[in-house]
Amino acid sequence: MKRFLNIATAVVVAVLIAAPGYAARGEADFTTFVALGDSYGAGFESGSLNERHQVWSWPAVVARQAGLSLCLPGATAAATCFAQPLVSFPGISNELVLNSLVPSPVIAPAPGQGQPLMLNFARPYNNLSIPGATVGALLSLTGAEPQTPNEPTAVSFARFILRGQGTPVQQASALHPTFIALWIGGNDYLNVIFSGNPATMTSATDFAARYEALITALVTANPNAGMVVGNLPSSIPPYLTLVPPYIVNPATGQPVLDPAGNRIYYVGTNPDGSFGQLAPTTLIPLQTRARLAQGYGIPPALAGFPPFNQLPFAGTPLSADDVITADEIAQVVARVGQYNAAINQIAAARDIPVADIAGLFQRVSHGMQLGPVAISAAPVTGGFFNLDFFHLTDLGYLLFGNEFIKAINTAYGTQIPVASIAQLFMNNGAFFGDSGPGVGNHLTFTGSNSGITDDAVSGIVSFWSRQPIPRRLGGRNRVVNH
Amino acid sequence: MRFLKLTATLSMTCLLATSAFGSGFLIPEQGAKASAMAGAFVATADDPSAIFYNPAGIAQQREMSVLAGTTLINFTNEFTGDPNSPVTSGVTGEYNRHTFNIPNMYAIVPFGENITFGVGAFAAFGLRTDWEDPWVGRYISKDADLKTMSVNPVVAWQTSDGRFAVGGGLEYRRARVILNANRMLPFPDPFTGRIPDVANARLASDYGSGIGWNAGILFKLSEAFRIGASYRTGMDIDLEGRADFRQIFTGNPQLDALVATTIPPDQDINTEFPFPSIATIGVAFSPNENWDIELDLMRTGWSRFEALAVNFETTPSASFVREQNWEDSNAYRLGINKNVTPHWDVRFGALYDQNPQPIEAVSPLLPDSDRIGASIGAGWHAGPLVIDTSLLVLHFKDRDTNGQNPEGFDGLYETDALLWSVNLGYRF
Repeated sequence: MKRFLNIATAVVVAVLIAAPGYAARGEADFTTFVALGDSYGAGFESGSLNERHQVWSWPAVVARQAGLSLCLPGATAAATCFAQPLVSFPGISNELVLNSLVPSPVIAPAPGQGQPLMLNFARPYNNLSIPGATVGALLSLTGAEPQTPNEPTAVSFARFILRGQGTPVQQASALHPTFIALWIGGNDYLNVIFSGNPATMTSATDFAARYEALITALVTANPNAGMVVGNLPSSIPPYLTLVPPYIVNPATGQPVLDPAGNRIYYVGTNPDGSFGQLAPTTLIPLQTRARLAQGYGIPPALAGFPPFNQLPFAGTPLSADDVITADEIAQVVARVGQYNAAINQIAAARDIPVADIAGLFQRVSHGMQLGPVAISAAPVTGGFFNLDFFHLTDLGYLLFGNEFIKAINTAYGTQIPVASIAQLFMNNGAFFGDSGPGVGNHLTFTGSNSGITDDAVSGIVSFWSRQPIPRRLGGRNRVVNH
Repeated sequence: MRFLKLTATLSMTCLLATSAFGSGFLIPEQGAKASAMAGAFVATADDPSAIFYNPAGIAQQREMSVLAGTTLINFTNEFTGDPNSPVTSGVTGEYNRHTFNIPNMYAIVPFGENITFGVGAFAAFGLRTDWEDPWVGRYISKDADLKTMSVNPVVAWQTSDGRFAVGGGLEYRRARVILNANRMLPFPDPFTGRIPDVANARLASDYGSGIGWNAGILFKLSEAFRIGASYRTGMDIDLEGRADFRQIFTGNPQLDALVATTIPPDQDINTEFPFPSIATIGVAFSPNENWDIELDLMRTGWSRFEALAVNFETTPSASFVREQNWEDSNAYRLGINKNVTPHWDVRFGALYDQNPQPIEAVSPLLPDSDRIGASIGAGWHAGPLVIDTSLLVLHFKDRDTNGQNPEGFDGLYETDALLWSVNLGYRF
């Protein structure tokens, strides 16, 4: 309770300090704009980092709206453009593309091999966001880490983003930034999606200490730079809602019902070691579909009957790490609340405005209309989450960047225009270019995905229960975190 | 199931456009002399255009006369998206340039000592908002076009001393509306992440017609003072027409096939289009025989637009009733006529015209605004010939939707208009 009160006090103080009229540090001078972050900041989309979406990363959106141009691959170090570690399509890893929408969406990696396009760019990139990075990683990674089997995602990406030239903080400071934007912390808790285990979250104490150290390092090295950070969302991405906790007939997409007309919930392991049917509120991460396809979670009473008896592990309960319970979700939400309290407190102490990213995700989860299109958290057609179901679409990153612009405008009294979804309209001609703002010929949609392998669904579960999405990096398969 | 919504939205959007015509499409410039006096003419009404402005005025005209002319209208406009709007930030737009020709024609025939018959033909209502491609607001309206034409026979009687006159007549009005808009996919294209156009909807009515009436009085209190008042009824004109839908292909066969199933069939449609009443009262002061100064108050009954009902005949489920909530509005007009020589008059005027459109209704279909105007003109008359001309400059006050557009299409509308009128008259 005392901790809660402390947090509540901190939040109230932060809000009061952040009230209109408060002086933000430095100025909103975008002469040299630097962003630090994770995969969201990098423009990671549909399991891939590539130039088609890097130009829509939230830092790129902010930069463009602030009047900066984006660097083309051939840009020199002297250029004042906003530089990002562009990767050619299909990216690293290969981008997941939608091959078919009906009768069920079919999603598969695009063929080919993406390559970094600006490895020899002779200064640090303005966008130093590293997929997989935690708060701590922004202080420690340099890209010079030795290659190891199963190395963390951030280490792999840092190799061609940081290029051994120092930590993100050091490289950002080397650019003598006039303005710094930071959004970090997602990977300190989103591992729960993959591990199913809340214990993998960074503790609130460690998070606050690392965030404090990160902000201190940035502020100390760049005392006159303007700055903005963002809070963290705790709404549930479609990655956790695509697979229901009950058996679905793959032919009809409808729940399989018992003789009494009830849904048949999968069987999982309880915290005390016993097992029983999953509660309806249980979430099943997308990667668990592979185990469901092998029969895990099928109730023992059904394991001997066709078609379940064809599955090798029918009757074996799902492990605790295969699912996320409502209690575990509550733990995540509470932890994110603690993170955000720390972010608010640390930012307020240095007159740094906080973009309300949590609010954006909340609004999306309720659904919202933007001009002619409806945006929601729905998979595939929701328009916000992309085809890996926890990163964002171009439009999602555009709205993400707008939250930063709004925070900057409020705190600094600037009038940076937000980005319009009209940038994503087709056939706008002279307004924005048919493909929106981009990097010349490097942003051209081919329109056809011919030749892409159809990894159609088979097995007892619905199409979402296909094999885990392979994400290739440097020739090896690994899972890319947030 | 979101595809199913496409049908309804596709059908509704363009017809909703009809509602937005309910404001600001009155064209009170129906004679060059009156226009030169900023439309302050109800208490003067001393040429055949009185048939439009105040039919009682023809009673004082004791010679058979004809008057014909036109008003040419040019708009300049600009839309600037709201920099805080995630829909319109960075968006600009303007109309295709058109010169609108609004003709008028009047004839009067005195009968006996006190009675005058007259007939007028004019187009007192009309609108065109034709946005130049490429136009981001095309999903609300690309082009909206309203045309009307009226024939107005009247009769007026005055007392033998000429101090009091009353007149009135019937108005037969024809009207038609054409609306054109695109529809976007109602969610981002999951194949490309972009927002494509998927259909064009063109709703075109045939000409419909209605009958109303107008009446007026003119009272000359003294040599120096006159009071005039007139009233023209509102009308509801039934319009029948045709909705044509054309698919715009995205390039993805699967998506296009899905969209195709949601596009409504071409079909007959009908609606009832409301036109407002116009009530005007004015006072004129002539300090001597060379000066006429008139001040008018015109009240236009735009509150007639409470709601609009549109019916689709093949797919009735797309029919709808939409609340409108327009408000009556006032226009204040000041006009001055000065006899310079026996053959020449010069004229000036100024006006302030309130817009009746709630901020929530301001959209690319019809972005109306309060208007201020200034006019200048001249008249030449010798023997049976009369030539009048005028130039009226209208400045629409900047109208910013301030985040209140229900469709999120917020921004600033800036409009100016130039109206040049000329009339040629002959007295037999």
